[in-house]
Amino acid sequence: MNGGELRGSVPALSSRRSPIAVVPALLLVVISLWEVCAARRDANSVPGEAAWHAAAARVREGYRPGDLIVFAPDWVDPIGRMQLGDLIPIEMAARMDAARYGRIWEVAIRGARSPDTAGLAPVASEEQDGIAVRRYERAPAIVVSDVLDRLTSAISEGARPTLELAEVGFAPHRCLQISPARGTPLRIRFPQLPLGRELVGYVGIADVFTRRDVRSPGRLEVEIAGKVVASAEAGVDDGWVRFAAATQPGAADVVFVARASDANRRICFAAEARQ
Amino acid sequence: MPGRAARRLIGWALAVVTVVVVMVNQREVGIARDEVVYIQSGEHYADWWIGLAAFRHGISQASVSQGFGGPGATDNNREHPALMKTLFGLSERLLHGTLGVASELAAARLPSAIAHGVAVLLVYGMVLELWGLAEAILAALLLLALPRALFHAGLACFDAPTMTLWFATVFAYWRGLDGRRWPWQVGVLWGLALATKHTALLLPFGLAAHYFHVAWRSDEVRGARGAVATVRAMIGYRWRVIASLAVLGPVTLYVVWPWLWFDPVHHVRDWLAFHTNHVHYNYEYLGRNWNAPRFPWHVALVTTLLTVPVATLAAAVVGAGVWLGRRHRRGPGERSPELLLALSAAASIGPFLLGTTPIFGAEKHWMPVLPTICIAAAVGAVWAARALAGHAAAVIRHRVIETLVLVGVAGCVVLASASEVSVAEPYALTWYNTLAGGAPGGADLGMNRQFWGVAARGVLARLSAEASPTGTTYVYTHDASPAWGSYQRLGLIPAALADAGWEQAGIDRSQLAIVIHERHFNRHDYLIWRSYGTVAPIYVLGAAGVPIVSVYRRPRP
Repeated sequence: MNGGELRGSVPALSSRRSPIAVVPALLLVVISLWEVCAARRDANSVPGEAAWHAAAARVREGYRPGDLIVFAPDWVDPIGRMQLGDLIPIEMAARMDAARYGRIWEVAIRGARSPDTAGLAPVASEEQDGIAVRRYERAPAIVVSDVLDRLTSAISEGARPTLELAEVGFAPHRCLQISPARGTPLRIRFPQLPLGRELVGYVGIADVFTRRDVRSPGRLEVEIAGKVVASAEAGVDDGWVRFAAATQPGAADVVFVARASDANRRICFAAEARQ
Repeated sequence: MPGRAARRLIGWALAVVTVVVVMVNQREVGIARDEVVYIQSGEHYADWWIGLAAFRHGISQASVSQGFGGPGATDNNREHPALMKTLFGLSERLLHGTLGVASELAAARLPSAIAHGVAVLLVYGMVLELWGLAEAILAALLLLALPRALFHAGLACFDAPTMTLWFATVFAYWRGLDGRRWPWQVGVLWGLALATKHTALLLPFGLAAHYFHVAWRSDEVRGARGAVATVRAMIGYRWRVIASLAVLGPVTLYVVWPWLWFDPVHHVRDWLAFHTNHVHYNYEYLGRNWNAPRFPWHVALVTTLLTVPVATLAAAVVGAGVWLGRRHRRGPGERSPELLLALSAAASIGPFLLGTTPIFGAEKHWMPVLPTICIAAAVGAVWAARALAGHAAAVIRHRVIETLVLVGVAGCVVLASASEVSVAEPYALTWYNTLAGGAPGGADLGMNRQFWGVAARGVLARLSAEASPTGTTYVYTHDASPAWGSYQRLGLIPAALADAGWEQAGIDRSQLAIVIHERHFNRHDYLIWRSYGTVAPIYVLGAAGVPIVSVYRRPRP
């Protein structure tokens, strides 16, 4: 062994008597003791089952059919659904957005807020055992028509779209799914779609694995009376992309034009006409 | 200072304790998806070797192909070298099949646990040789008390053994630089590292940089005149070490991996091509799912920062400062072990800073950085403790005081790591350190939740309780599907709880379903919702409250 070259170097370095020499050791002790305490505290920082039961009970007391229930942060969603999933129909869980819901219950931990309640102030809020239960109320969007409900009347100039419960941007969305041929626009017409003052929709690319393997974006345009009124491009990392257009109340042919530069681009979209 | 025998005994005791801790810890750790393949392949390899030893077959291209390869790129798991798999298989055949003293899983995992014990022993040995007993004990304990490393060491996989053999090669290389006549160990150990995992190919980059550094500073090179003479002196400085790596490394790989015995060039090319063209798996990092380059350059650094206990990191910073502080005190002929450890870590983690290297198992791919961190931490903590003790000695000079200070500071650092271990296991892939805020903080940050389906182990009891008392109950087993048969053989689930099959067809056939939560697995929830008509799981398994597995039951009509 030839380790003698270093032996003694550490004591030599530590032989100084400067008061500052004690700082590293004290810092290490403080950090260590903090970690000992914090590790245990962190591991118990998420409310347990009893707290979730109590929070669910508070929601059930005030719940009305049609209320939207959301959880925050999003990683706690499975626990929330376990507690209150019977009040969340699939259509609600896989909603296009939250605009049509006038009452929203938000069950949250760790000070988180759901994106669905952004900009809203709770009319009721209660926090117990680390779980906040907040209720929001607002004027809901009045939906005049929803393309998902009118799939049977849609006329496609190519493959027909299918109604799917798809993963788009790692979130559930009910949507119409189409895979246009590479470089060839696919037109889907909804004849005499009842319109309000606004047409709102979202588009995204379904399926994480095709998003990985095919990296080009998908594009959707909306035409009313032959004129493009809205368009959106959804890249593989863009998730669920909103588009909107002002419309004249009344019925009109609405055409959705999907484009992709690669094959097997699973473009998913949903749209509703709002009053 | 204890005598030589006592110091050796301490090292071996630490190694044995490590093996025991790993084997105890692994009992609650589920079966990793890839682990099933490695164990099955290992049993196959072991049978081939046993058959050869028993003269049941000879060495022919046909028998080797049947035992270790095949025409397909992943036949007999030929995309990974055979060393550890063979040991998994031999251990299973001996301890489970012949002696019956261990379950098939525990028996297969024992070689990894022993390898981790060897890593602790080697770290202890190198630090003892270079810095001293206190540093050696502390470095060994800190390596033992790394939550993620402890987790990986309990799997019949390659990552912990790779760390061991990587470090063993580094240690052997360092020793080989002393001018010994036959530094064969470094080549053999590197060959064994190569025969464990392809990542060992990165190690020569670190060793080469170190070699040129120490050679440049050597008397031989300083005395050389002219460029040619300098180059010759550089190469000739410790040429036997280079020769050992260049010759014995590949030869050892060849000897222990029968798949290379026939058509070795083609098979090595296939092996490397598989990994250079490896698919990018999904990996969550800072709130985003990554599955295609370019990846953020800081993934490996931030992930390491959040998966090594904070006190260990802090002590390592002090240790790095100590090393930097003495860098100018070196004379010619010194072998710069600190630089070697730093370059070893850099070679291991460096490729993951490029933004194109597949990142799907996080810290397990750059585990060889961990001995460097733990050694630096031990040097730093002991230096800090001695500095404090030295200050105290100005007031009260007593050896007991110094020892108490040393034990106190070092003990605090170890205790911090042990605390992290206690909250991390058995779901250590979900765990993050207190800088992140533990597992919940990691989830808040959008860090990777887990991988390999290991957490399914935690819901087996619930699934068993939900099984129909009569007939077969089909379960959509998701990412635990490869492990399902093993769980049944281990008696953790009844045989009547059958795997329903893959994807939507499997879900539609099932009465129970599980989803192992990773961001890109969310789609499995939605497939189940569609089939079961409900979004409500009946049970959610959590790690420190963070959901890791959901269990669904098909509502009765």
